[in-house]
Amino acid sequence: MQWTALTGAFLASAVEFVEAFTIVLVVGVTINWRSVGAFAAAATLAIIVATFGVALVQLVPLDILRLIVGVLLILFGLKWLKKAILRYSGLKALHDEEAIFEETMAEVRARGEATTSRIEPFGVALSYKAVLLEGLEVAFIVITFGTSVASNKALGIGSAAVGAAIAGLLVILIGALVRTPLKQIPENTLKFIVGIMLTAFGTFWGGEGLGVTWPSSDAFLLVLVVLYLLVSFILVIWLKQTKQQRVIGVAKSYKEQNTQKQQEIPS
Amino acid sequence: MNIMKAIYNFIVGDIIILVGVLLTVVILVLINNLSVLAPLRIVSGGILIVAVLAILIATLSREAFSKH
Repeated sequence: MQWTALTGAFLASAVEFVEAFTIVLVVGVTINWRSVGAFAAAATLAIIVATFGVALVQLVPLDILRLIVGVLLILFGLKWLKKAILRYSGLKALHDEEAIFEETMAEVRARGEATTSRIEPFGVALSYKAVLLEGLEVAFIVITFGTSVASNKALGIGSAAVGAAIAGLLVILIGALVRTPLKQIPENTLKFIVGIMLTAFGTFWGGEGLGVTWPSSDAFLLVLVVLYLLVSFILVIWLKQTKQQRVIGVAKSYKEQNTQKQQEIPS
Repeated sequence: MNIMKAIYNFIVGDIIILVGVLLTVVILVLINNLSVLAPLRIVSGGILIVAVLAILIATLSREAFSKH
């Protein structure tokens, strides 16, 4: 078992499956649980991972594979890291599962969907789309992360797929027990950790694909993780200060405008 | 066109990140393949790390200083 691939895929999948679960829950609660198309979406994702994973491992030469996978990991990693840093600094609102649940439920009810025992195509389509869209990113991470972290690529993809499956089952299990949106799960922290992991592995493998020889070989990955963590923390502090200054600036100009208006009023 | 946009949004969804990473790759490929730039090969790892951090700072700065 390749533990790095398993852990990375587990964390990434947990975030995405929590988001997908919220929509699945809406369908289950407002229409019925038979109309949940989540398992069909999971099967589609498994086929995508198997097909693309095998094709990548067998058809693409190692150096090109490292470069492509490295670049994709950097792109994904920076995207996740950016979102997490913006949320930590308060420049972007935290992902609110309860608000999304209420909003989607209102939309479903506005369509006139009601609780029924029959399989409703709308419910199936809605939950299938939610799980497929959220899961597609997971499938991509499973393939790219799996092929990059292990010397045996098939083992890497297999381990990453196991990590994703464990996360999926865990979310389903917890969701089935509580039957409310999973707002307690620290989504942003998970997103931040995954962002750091993807960016660090992407830099490492992308660099190797581009002919970079890293000092201390694989151990340099740890240096990259620590470096990206440090810079990210500094960026969060800087953005928080920037936000505070902006708020103070807005308040000041508002106060000045008010004083000016009061002076203009003839006594 | 819609498919291209969907793929772009799915993979990255941020033009600074996309252009920055692609530009970095092009520069590193040139360093790795042109003999004129051979002396820079020893620092290509450093260039990659600095570029990744610069891209992150650039995209966050845009969000922080945008008028919205």
